[in-house]
Amino acid sequence: MASIEFLILLLVASSLIAYLLTKVNSFLGSVFTIFASMFVFVSLAAYGFNATLVTDVLYLPGFTFGYTYLGAFFAIIVAFVYAMVSFFHPYFIDHYKYKNAYNMLFLLSLAGVLGAFFTDNFLQLFFFFELIVWSTMFLIPLGKSKSAAVSYFAYSAAGSFAMLFGIFVMRAQVGSFDMTLGLSSLTGTNAIIVYVSFLIAAFAKLGVFPLHLWLPIAHGNAPHPFSPVLSGALVKLGAFVAVLALIRITPASGLITAINLPFAHYIVAILGAMSIVFGTLMAIREDDAKKLLAYSSMSHGGYIIVAFSLLDSVAYAGGFYHILAHALASAGAFMAIAAVARQTGTTKMSELGGIIHKMPITYIVYLVAIISMAGIPPMGGFISKWLIFQAVIDKGLIFIAVALFFGSIGSFLYVFRPLAALFLGQELPQFKKTVKEAPILMLIPMVIITLLNIYTGVLPNQLFGFINRIIGELGFAPLVTSTFEINGYNGIINPALIAGIFGFGVVIAFIIFISLKKSKQVTLMETYTAANFIHTEELLHYSVDFYAPLERLYAKYIHIMTNFFDSLANKVKELGRLSKYVFMSKYVEVAIFWIVAITAFLLWGEIL
Amino acid sequence: MKSTKFTPARKLTKEEIDRKWWEIGDFFRRNSLWMLMYCTGCCAIELPPAMTSAYDMERLGMGPMATPRQADILLISGYLSVKSLRRVIYTYEQMSEPKYVVGLGSCPINGGIYHDSHAVINQLDQYIPVDTYVSGCMPNTESVMNGFVDLMEQIKNKTANGWVKYKENNEWYKSNQKAALGEVIIHDEFHE
Amino acid sequence: MIVNILIGFGIAVLGFVLQTSVAGVNRKIIGRLQKRYGPKWYQEFLDIFKLLSKRSISHGWIFDFGVIMALGGIIATAMFMPITNTFVAFAGYDNFFIFVYLLAVGMLGMAMSASGSGNPLASIGVMRALTTMLAYEVPFMIVILTVIKLSNTSSMVGIGEFQRALGNNWFLIALPLGGIVAVISLMGMLGKKPFETYIAPAEIASGPMVEYGGKQLGMLFIMHEITVFIEVSLFVHIFLGGASNIFIFLIKYFVVYTVVNLISNVNGRFKIDQVVKFYYKWPLIMAVTQAIIAIYFGWVI
Repeated sequence: MASIEFLILLLVASSLIAYLLTKVNSFLGSVFTIFASMFVFVSLAAYGFNATLVTDVLYLPGFTFGYTYLGAFFAIIVAFVYAMVSFFHPYFIDHYKYKNAYNMLFLLSLAGVLGAFFTDNFLQLFFFFELIVWSTMFLIPLGKSKSAAVSYFAYSAAGSFAMLFGIFVMRAQVGSFDMTLGLSSLTGTNAIIVYVSFLIAAFAKLGVFPLHLWLPIAHGNAPHPFSPVLSGALVKLGAFVAVLALIRITPASGLITAINLPFAHYIVAILGAMSIVFGTLMAIREDDAKKLLAYSSMSHGGYIIVAFSLLDSVAYAGGFYHILAHALASAGAFMAIAAVARQTGTTKMSELGGIIHKMPITYIVYLVAIISMAGIPPMGGFISKWLIFQAVIDKGLIFIAVALFFGSIGSFLYVFRPLAALFLGQELPQFKKTVKEAPILMLIPMVIITLLNIYTGVLPNQLFGFINRIIGELGFAPLVTSTFEINGYNGIINPALIAGIFGFGVVIAFIIFISLKKSKQVTLMETYTAANFIHTEELLHYSVDFYAPLERLYAKYIHIMTNFFDSLANKVKELGRLSKYVFMSKYVEVAIFWIVAITAFLLWGEIL
Repeated sequence: MKSTKFTPARKLTKEEIDRKWWEIGDFFRRNSLWMLMYCTGCCAIELPPAMTSAYDMERLGMGPMATPRQADILLISGYLSVKSLRRVIYTYEQMSEPKYVVGLGSCPINGGIYHDSHAVINQLDQYIPVDTYVSGCMPNTESVMNGFVDLMEQIKNKTANGWVKYKENNEWYKSNQKAALGEVIIHDEFHE
Repeated sequence: MIVNILIGFGIAVLGFVLQTSVAGVNRKIIGRLQKRYGPKWYQEFLDIFKLLSKRSISHGWIFDFGVIMALGGIIATAMFMPITNTFVAFAGYDNFFIFVYLLAVGMLGMAMSASGSGNPLASIGVMRALTTMLAYEVPFMIVILTVIKLSNTSSMVGIGEFQRALGNNWFLIALPLGGIVAVISLMGMLGKKPFETYIAPAEIASGPMVEYGGKQLGMLFIMHEITVFIEVSLFVHIFLGGASNIFIFLIKYFVVYTVVNLISNVNGRFKIDQVVKFYYKWPLIMAVTQAIIAIYFGWVI
């Protein structure tokens, strides 16, 4: 029997061992990291699915753990992404300046994740949150830029301290830090205060509008093997807090009868919808592949917020399934880009082209990941988006539906751009000789994630059994499923049938193709150029400003949020300068005057 | 006289089956010809009335197409300078097989009124195989339509074999091209 | 299950034959409109079979694989489409969203294959096609949201039967603004002028199809015909009340396609940013207004 405390202590110990081992030999240290994270994931999955994890605490003083289906769901997904990404460490570790710290902080953040999801005390939740933030904050600057960590920490700190404020307000009313009992017994204005502060924390961690500016900076500049973890796994902490806030708290607010939704939840849904639209628009114009996928995470975070704010069990099932499908798809896409970046040294799409001819398996991994991200059958993203559409249509929310459909179609645009500009197109001469396929140890986790992407799209019913238990725990009616079908409000889908018929169609097309005359193979440079003779490949590769006509339509409005936050930062600096001028000027007499004045003011209240 | 009642029907040999498939293919190919209009010279002015409502090429199944890979007919309309001939040969080799060439006007036949110019070629047939000529300077639109119908008849009688001749006599054509042009594909972007 | 698959495959083949014939007849109608004879009614069949019999070139495995995936995806989508409310392969599973998203698989396959040919004009054509899709889908989906909310089902057969029930009108009449938006979006979906920007033969040398010849182009033409069949059938089922026997379906199909073709033949072609600006102005406003008045106020004719 595995116990949570044992796993956490194991991870802390192995992070120290990994530190020492990497000092000796970086390859050995990375292999040890692989073993540690795989062991943790396997024991979590084996015991966590059947709810047989032991929650007793023997060694850590004052900590308590509790098993909930909600926590287990999140923990298994995050641990899986950690375990798969750890396979990349032996190949990337030599690029970084502080190799030993990399492995140590990796395992330490996984320990924090386990603790955060399996705790039942809010103060411990805050402790583990901060552990995660601090350990990942020192990982990010090992990549490209140091100021990315500052941005990441600032937003995470804002979120964490808002959550701490909410926790203390709850404690003041209820009297305990317990998670399940505490939240449901909140009433009155305290409920609203806790609701808002938890939502600030959730938005900051998930990267949803308006607290989204750290996403492209942090994810785009993080080290290449760590971006899948940041984007696929760690943003799910925000989703966990959002579930706690939106579902367990019932703030007193007016009900909008036309759509049967309380006003507070409707505001949250509007913010999620704006996040979807803005994430899509900003992703369409990005040139760096990792920043593009970071904006895509912002857009999918918006989908998750919309799903959880609808007070509807079909929407909750869609939201949970979307968390799973997005984690897998985002991890797959980031891992493919990391493999390309290792071989070519860059992730900018304007400098790459024609990579598919040397790295076909990486291409297939990326293709399956983006099919799932765009919500196309037969992969998993379609099922979750279908469920969210069902809930939105049933409630009759028109403007949120506009944003949802826009995000769904717009995601075809931005996921196609790396496919066409980076993998397809002309093969640039600087990569023809030097680029090879990724090594086998890197291909194994990518192929596993691809197969899981397909599995979540074809046979989702086992997973829905588990998700129904979570929904039941939260107090709502479970989603109706049978062995092969899923029932929404106004329709039924059968994902296995869709995948089967798709396979049948491809077989028919293949038969037609094979029975006709064989084509002559020509190179990429023998192409239609209106009979011009061509000699340079770069001039024939379309990758810069891919969606230029669409980008021109909104190019004037993209800096509004960055300008807003910049001016906010400037106002804070001005306030600091003002107080420094007034209270701490270079004349000693002024300082003494203020000290005396403030002391007199405080004592006046006390004594008189 | 031998009675036909007990003679079994003759089984078709492989060549006859191939020929029947080829005939079916020819039926489709001659009734749906797509042309790539390479409007090099003056005779191209005869094409708009042929394509539009005046003489209506579309009732024969023909229509214009944008790129050589999709087209069946390469229409050489008028004179070909040496520069253009390089591009025409490049385009002809990019087309998918089976492909046909139609020469409009007198210039592809013998040089026409530019026969003594130093920059114009005289006989197109030496460089790429031509299936049908439509003579005149320039031909009337009805002759152009007549030329297309002649090409369709040639496809039906299996005499439109220019592309097969090009593959079989490739060295002869290449030596002619080299003698007239020097090099067909220019080796860098600073020459023409 | 085997019987259902065979019926579905029959529906796909029927759709292909139907659409190709209707397209050929329409070419003749347009020819007569322009005071000329026009081609034979089976001209499109001749075009497709001629293409399938030519030997062409290929640029690599992704070039061929994309075409196979495109045609396979579209055949799979067509197998779900109902013809009448009894002639359907997989009853109960003909959800509207399945059609919209499985069509996207076909488009993705074609886009992959076109970009894999190495020609920048193909990538530009794909970019224009995706931008056009972003433009026409959002107003269309809002109207469909209204239809699904009113008829409480998203199955094609169910929506058709709801319109034929006593006291209900066809949605083209019951939701007039929505009907206009749907016709405009249908023109965008079919790629008819003025939304034909993604092919644009004179500007980008036929866009994604620039490097295709022979059997790949033939398969793409088959894919295009079946796509048109799916989209016009969607319109017939959702807005014109479906059909209870096959002859009514054929008549409605022919009328819809001919009307759309006639409108498109008198228009020029938009630029791509004009397409996006057009769809996000009046069609979106009309669709949202229609949704508000139908769902919240209940003013349905």
